[in-house]
Amino acid sequence: MRICMVSDFFYPSIGGVEEHVYNLSQMLLSLGHKIVVLTHAYGDCSGIRYVTGYLKVYYLPIKVCYNQCILPTAVCNVPMLRAVLVRERVEVVHGHSAFSALAHEALMVGSLLGLKTVFTDHSLFGFADLSAALTNNLLEVNLGMVNHAICVSHIGKENTVLRARVAKNRVSVIPNAVDTALFTPDPQQRPSNDIINIVVASRLVYRKGIDLLAGIIPRFKNTPNVNFIIVGDGPKRDLLEEIREKTNMQERVQMVGAVEHDKVRDFLVRGHIFLNTSLTEAYCMAIVEAASCGLQVVSTSVGGIPEVLPQSLILLAEPEIDAIYAAILIAIDRHQKSSFKVSPPVANGHLPSDANGKVKRRRRRKADTPTYPSQLPSSSAPPADQNSPAEPVMCPYRCNELVETLYNWEDVALRTVKVYDRVLQERSFTTSELVFAVWQHGSWFLVFFVVAHFLMRLLELWRPRKRVELAQDIQRTPS
Amino acid sequence: MVKKGQTKRQPWVKNLYSNREYPDNYTDASFLKELRMNLHCRIYTLTEAIAGITVLNNQISCITGFLILYQLMLSDSVSPSTILMPSCGITGIGYLCYRGRSLSWSLLGEDSKTLVTVVFFGYLFSPMLHTLTQAISTDTIYTMTFFVLLGNLIFGHYGLDVAMVSKAISLNAAIFGAICLASRLPTSYHAFVLLVEAAVFFVLYPIMTEANWHAGFMVPIFAICCMALYCISRPVLYLYASTTIFLNFVCPFIFVCQQQYKFNIHGPWDEAIVEENTEENLDDNL
Repeated sequence: MRICMVSDFFYPSIGGVEEHVYNLSQMLLSLGHKIVVLTHAYGDCSGIRYVTGYLKVYYLPIKVCYNQCILPTAVCNVPMLRAVLVRERVEVVHGHSAFSALAHEALMVGSLLGLKTVFTDHSLFGFADLSAALTNNLLEVNLGMVNHAICVSHIGKENTVLRARVAKNRVSVIPNAVDTALFTPDPQQRPSNDIINIVVASRLVYRKGIDLLAGIIPRFKNTPNVNFIIVGDGPKRDLLEEIREKTNMQERVQMVGAVEHDKVRDFLVRGHIFLNTSLTEAYCMAIVEAASCGLQVVSTSVGGIPEVLPQSLILLAEPEIDAIYAAILIAIDRHQKSSFKVSPPVANGHLPSDANGKVKRRRRRKADTPTYPSQLPSSSAPPADQNSPAEPVMCPYRCNELVETLYNWEDVALRTVKVYDRVLQERSFTTSELVFAVWQHGSWFLVFFVVAHFLMRLLELWRPRKRVELAQDIQRTPS
Repeated sequence: MVKKGQTKRQPWVKNLYSNREYPDNYTDASFLKELRMNLHCRIYTLTEAIAGITVLNNQISCITGFLILYQLMLSDSVSPSTILMPSCGITGIGYLCYRGRSLSWSLLGEDSKTLVTVVFFGYLFSPMLHTLTQAISTDTIYTMTFFVLLGNLIFGHYGLDVAMVSKAISLNAAIFGAICLASRLPTSYHAFVLLVEAAVFFVLYPIMTEANWHAGFMVPIFAICCMALYCISRPVLYLYASTTIFLNFVCPFIFVCQQQYKFNIHGPWDEAIVEENTEENLDDNL
């Protein structure tokens, strides 16, 4: 299958969507599909590049307008997108993120070319304010032209069905995943004395609930054995630093600043408890990464978060300072009561060195992949009474293994391929069907649609599809 | 797409890791169960809407009243002193009503100090303010006054906390309008009286109405403005009366009719609302 992933968000930018696109592409490549990634140029990073595993990335020379997105002109980039899609003989166009204007444009060009289109929605939206209403209308128009939509959580599906008015059976739920082999626990990095480290790793912005965090830190003013490690940067950093000064906790609240994604693990393994205070979240990869590193996760119960982890791995609290504080206290209590000692890693079948551990994990996973889908986590993790402090802390390595049974990229890729197979069997939209869909969902967009359509016709005359030089495929050497 | 025929299936759970037996695009019966509609939606009655809009009408009448006084002074039909004396008296009575029982000698001393400063400097600078915009043509002055008083209306505080509202912009616009108009008056004493009136109408009067306003007050205010305008100009009277009636009765009616389209959906995807930490409330959390 030849698939084109389109999103404004891709490496070198860092975030949940970027990671999703990258990991999914890598997995699909290893399953033997042909993948190209389309994104806009990031400064020096422009042109065609090959990244790990000969993943071909087109950094299109389009100017960025706002927040890493291109200017949503709908028609200006039609010739370039058509050239790439035709040249790469793409069968399925897969757009990512509702914020990405490039994804929407490529999906329109794809459906005009008669290709199959899939769209993954990574975020939740409200309905109350003006900007949400406008974005929702644009999304509605675009999803009208898409064969299938994918959401990362059930809440996300409800949200997408409501705001874009797509048929329920045209929306699949395929969660994100986490590379559990990269996020392995290492309890020896934790402080050996009675100190408990609470780790926070997120961008320091309003939507991540930093105002809640700023209310929680002072509550631990008088418990000298609780320390905070805050990873990430953003406009709310000043607030946290001010709180830290005012409560005299400079020694105990470590502000690390922005950290590369692959370094995040080094900070996660130093903590006992991971705290997530997001105000809205479709999936929240951070808590899965933390659970994979063996931390107890305390999180606000918003959006899709309650769906992500079984109760044995997470403590949920309402997004209020008191509730989160109480949940942290339960987590601390559990930790102190539990008899769990940092056992020698060898006893758990892991070597202390990180690199060796990875290799071991990889090998082990390959071995038991075929049996994997039958492993139901509900059987391995009986639901625990959430608020009982008596519940012992799970061994970090056990956490990692449990998360591995819940999520992995291979499963995500296989489920995505199922969606591709499904849309490939569908009939592609005819122009009149597309016009009707646009007319139904937002007739104002017809102006752009008609221009794009005639532009495509013109291009068909000027640069006929059959005379476009096709891209050579790189033969991958089996690794 | 529920596959039929599978008899023994575990019930679908709303999480992302079980449900292996279900296809990815399966939609459970619990879909959208947590959807709530019109949670914080308030439907206003016609009486409420009519009573509410009088606050805006009051501000329009306040501006009209100020312009009436300006016209009276400009046409020399009333001397400045006959305007100044009654308004001083009314201000005094208003002050006593406003302070009420909390009035004390020290408070009176503080307030009279403010009053003396404002009046003294106002009187001192009135010749300068009088000539400040004299070089500008009358048409420009009137156009500018129209726009700044419109700004006063737009940015005015009518009891709602929205981003548009700015008391500072509103008041400054009105005072600027008064200074513009002052240059058209014959003497600097006229200008002084006009500025005092501007202070009374745009600073003190809104304080009074904000503290205690009743929709019924609109009737005498409307009657007084109409009577004054009847003596000055008929077309302006018609304009004023029709605007007020349109705003006071037709607009609330349209608003109440359109309320049937109020539709809002809430659900678990809504962003949680937390109080943002600002300079003021930062210390409360510590």
